[in-house]
Amino acid sequence: MSELSVNHLLGIKYIKESDIQLIFETADQFKEVINRPIKKVPSLRDITIANLFFENSTRTRLSFELAEKRLSADVVNFSAAQSSVKKGETLIDTVNNILSMKVDMVVMRHPNPGAGVFLSKHIKASIVNAGDGAHEHPTQALLDSYSIREKLGDVAGKKVVIVGDILHSRVALSNIFALQMQGAQVKVCGPKTLIPKYIHSLGVEVEMDLRKALEWCDVANMLRVQNERMDISYFPSTREYTQLFGVNKKLLDSLDKEIVIMHPGPINRGVEITSDVADSKQAIILNQVENGVAIRMAVIYLLASKIKQ
Amino acid sequence: MNILIKSAKIIAPNQSYNQQVKDILIIDGKISKIEDHIKPEIEIKEISLDNLHVSQGWFDCSVSFGEPGFEDRETIENGLNTAALSGYTAVAVNPNTQPVADTNADIGFIKSKGADKATSLYPIAALTSLSHGVDLAELFDMKNAGAVAYGDYQKPIENPNLLKIALQYTQNFDGLVLSFPMESKVIGKGVVNEGITSTKLGLKGIPALSEELQIVRDLFILEYTGGKLHIPTISTKLSVELIKQAKDKGLDVSCSVALANLILNESELEDFDTNYKLLPPLREEADRKALVEGVKHGVIDLVTTDHNPIDVENKNVEFDHALYGTIGLEASFGLLLQEFPLEKVIKILTSGKERFAIPQEEIAVGNKANISLFNPDSSYEFSKSDILSFSKNCAYTGKQVKGKTYGIIANNRIALKSSLSK
Repeated sequence: MSELSVNHLLGIKYIKESDIQLIFETADQFKEVINRPIKKVPSLRDITIANLFFENSTRTRLSFELAEKRLSADVVNFSAAQSSVKKGETLIDTVNNILSMKVDMVVMRHPNPGAGVFLSKHIKASIVNAGDGAHEHPTQALLDSYSIREKLGDVAGKKVVIVGDILHSRVALSNIFALQMQGAQVKVCGPKTLIPKYIHSLGVEVEMDLRKALEWCDVANMLRVQNERMDISYFPSTREYTQLFGVNKKLLDSLDKEIVIMHPGPINRGVEITSDVADSKQAIILNQVENGVAIRMAVIYLLASKIKQ
Repeated sequence: MNILIKSAKIIAPNQSYNQQVKDILIIDGKISKIEDHIKPEIEIKEISLDNLHVSQGWFDCSVSFGEPGFEDRETIENGLNTAALSGYTAVAVNPNTQPVADTNADIGFIKSKGADKATSLYPIAALTSLSHGVDLAELFDMKNAGAVAYGDYQKPIENPNLLKIALQYTQNFDGLVLSFPMESKVIGKGVVNEGITSTKLGLKGIPALSEELQIVRDLFILEYTGGKLHIPTISTKLSVELIKQAKDKGLDVSCSVALANLILNESELEDFDTNYKLLPPLREEADRKALVEGVKHGVIDLVTTDHNPIDVENKNVEFDHALYGTIGLEASFGLLLQEFPLEKVIKILTSGKERFAIPQEEIAVGNKANISLFNPDSSYEFSKSDILSFSKNCAYTGKQVKGKTYGIIANNRIALKSSLSK
């Protein structure tokens, strides 16, 4: 049986294209499972998973928790707000305390880039990175590619533009790595202040003009402006941001082709996309959410089968 | 103390004994004879070591020893011992202590802790009270207590008028002002070089611009005020060019480069290893090469280890939370020899004393013995067991080095690695 080349999912850049395909094939089966009347399989009855969220999250945590429960894993949840972290405990101590309670796998969201990589050097449990600062959010990139594959048949050869706050986005970085690995072309578009100066070193082109970007692409992935990560104002106002980088129905309809609109959520309606775009048939935003559960089930299942060996 | 060094090859570029193998007789701390073969007439400690080479004592213009305040990271005593066994006879110690060394009494305390050791300690005093960058500290008073230069370690002088005043005021007593090259607004929350690595790792970048902008500002101010300016630890290609232009213009400016920036580049960071979290950050390979050229051609005056022991509690954490710094004294000779020929390495290690008003003692009859002892031909992999510092934060563990130090003879004392002492 095929297995992943890694023991942790710390980022897309640490896995191979064959891993992505294996995850997709496994997710296909789990997607069928979660659409059955009984949405649960007993695969991971002997596995305990800790969801460690050192940063706020609603949808990602719910998605992971659902994925784990549908695989019949035992699940414990932890969020920094209720923990000893506030009392000054280090990350390694916090996690080791939890692992002493015989936890097999850790799903971790953390505000600092590299936190997952750091932890993987110090603990034995398998780690799934659920987002680490502006570094990576691998399961989001996997579910995004999976959704493109589902909608357009294949990722290879497709043109994808990522629009918005690239500088503070782990979703952008993981998507760039994942899409390129599968043979897609990637451009980014957004305020110059929110695009890393050296993004070209990743083989990514920068498009300044939103209309040109949309005319070029098959898929537009609209990112949220991450105000919470900004130390200064990178643009004067939300109103002006929307004027330059907001997608509305009129703009979409004026293109000479029908492009796919994606968004990792949560959406700021009326900022990066208007409601009529978010709710249009071109948008696959809710499909992304559904696929997120299947992808996370696949990732957890495949990593757990390595633990069982 | 009376010592006879047997069969040592003297490395003293541009001096008569250079590359000659000699016996050196030291009586009461002074060199009394340098001859092909010396037969001791009195009972004497003989030093005879494998492939022994000697040179004038080495100097490092930026080390941090933690004391007072951070004795768990390093103490002055162990720091000086580490320096001695690494071949250094003189070190300038940064004021990044707790409390900050910003008064005559603080400098006196540090001096007294470093007294009567083989390696001489020269304190760098804080430029401003508490290193807050607001008011000048009592600079002249601290000079009288033994301070050799003034700077708020790794904290930039944000207020240009403060630098202007410091450069003017210190001219009355020939003081050396250190201005760390970093524009604090441009750096923002950056933690690594802004470049391909920061982009790939999602870490906030420190643009080269932040360093270069500050250097340009400082050089303009220096041209206006006069005075003596030292820019510690430059790290970019353009910074080398800026310093060269200023020197060509005749400005009284010197600069240093940190060993790490001379040896390593930003690719080391791929694994989020906090031992490579340094300030200035590791830059691109093109920057590193320009720094090497800058040292070769004398644009860069000093190479410092910027030795900074950090306790494990502040390094074994998430990258953003780790403190900046690496130790370096123990590895510097072996690393420099990987990059430069032996005579150049000795020139690097013995230069800059005059700038910091530290006495020079060449190897010559009648001079005080101030000698570094080493073997330049021993290659090995630098490992944790080579670290003498209390803290083990080291960017060079696992690196191939060429050359081992034996220790020093200085201040009428001898410090040799214990396995070598007879």
